[in-house]
Amino acid sequence: MNLLLVFLAVLAFVSGNDEEETGARLLVSKQILNKYLVEDKDIIVKYTLYNVGNSAALGVQLTDNSFHPDAFAVVGGQLNMKLDRIAPGTNVSHVVVVRPRKYGYFNFTAAEINYRPSEEVKELQLAVTSEPGEGLIIAFRDYDKKFSPHVLDWMAFAVMTLPSLLIPFLLWYSSKSKYEKLSKHKKEKTSKD
Amino acid sequence: MVKNILFLLSTLTIFSLGVADTCTNPQVAATAYTTNDATVLTNIAFVAEFQLSCSSKVNSLPLYAEINGRTVPAARLSEANKYQVSWTEDLKKARSGDYNVNLYDEEGYAALRKAARSGEDPSAVKPLVTIVVNYPGAYQGPWVNTDFMAAVLAVLVWYLAFSAKSKLLA
Repeated sequence: MNLLLVFLAVLAFVSGNDEEETGARLLVSKQILNKYLVEDKDIIVKYTLYNVGNSAALGVQLTDNSFHPDAFAVVGGQLNMKLDRIAPGTNVSHVVVVRPRKYGYFNFTAAEINYRPSEEVKELQLAVTSEPGEGLIIAFRDYDKKFSPHVLDWMAFAVMTLPSLLIPFLLWYSSKSKYEKLSKHKKEKTSKD
Repeated sequence: MVKNILFLLSTLTIFSLGVADTCTNPQVAATAYTTNDATVLTNIAFVAEFQLSCSSKVNSLPLYAEINGRTVPAARLSEANKYQVSWTEDLKKARSGDYNVNLYDEEGYAALRKAARSGEDPSAVKPLVTIVVNYPGAYQGPWVNTDFMAAVLAVLVWYLAFSAKSKLLA
């Protein structure tokens, strides 16, 4: 991850105005905070903006067009946001929660940001975030098969094993109670005599 | 073209900042989202979106949020006066319950930072408005695995039968 950030820093440096030594420089990472990507389950996307420059970044605008509305539903947060300023040496994070509508491979690509590196500079500095890369979104059915507690299945199993346990037990119990009754009867008789 | 417009907008906001707007009688309408199924996640996300309305007609006021001692700038969304404050918390460290998000304007934020610098109690600075994000806790999978439960039950049945049998034979 760090390596990626460094790479991005270099990238931003190269693509930016090189003559501008002073000014804000933003490193932006885009992370997916998931163990598994599952259809119809939350995917947390976290953007972390870090200003490594020596002045505040102004009018920072982040836009992520990589989640097509047909393929993803946004359930928390928004994919476009704006910050007035990011002070030098500070971190700002932005979180969006999306749910994939389909399953299959999905390439998580970069979001775009633009900002003004300093008060004097009129033109916008463009930059891209890191790319989380390709991920496999599992179908909910497959996920459920693997991770659900299978309560119903185990219940069915219990019901199926029940007869082989219950029938011998009931047979034994009925004969036991029959003999106990008999022996009790006998005892009562002998005590009466 | 779009960039130019954006730039114009950002300069306009910066100019309007200079006029030192204050929000009187602030009202917020907030919606919050916290992830409730943590089986596939590594972190818990807290997302609060809110719309600020003031009786003094101020627009795009820069806001700062304070959550448990952390201050973050509130991100502005595309709709007017709509903001988002979001953060993530480690799965194990996230406690369920109410999270207070104190919102400050520029002035309040400066006072807050001053209080923090001089070692005063930062809670003495009155926030513009406070919103509450409730996190009811997230499902992190069943307490016991069902296959484990089934094994325990099977052993229990076997033990009962075996003890009954040995009692009979004794």
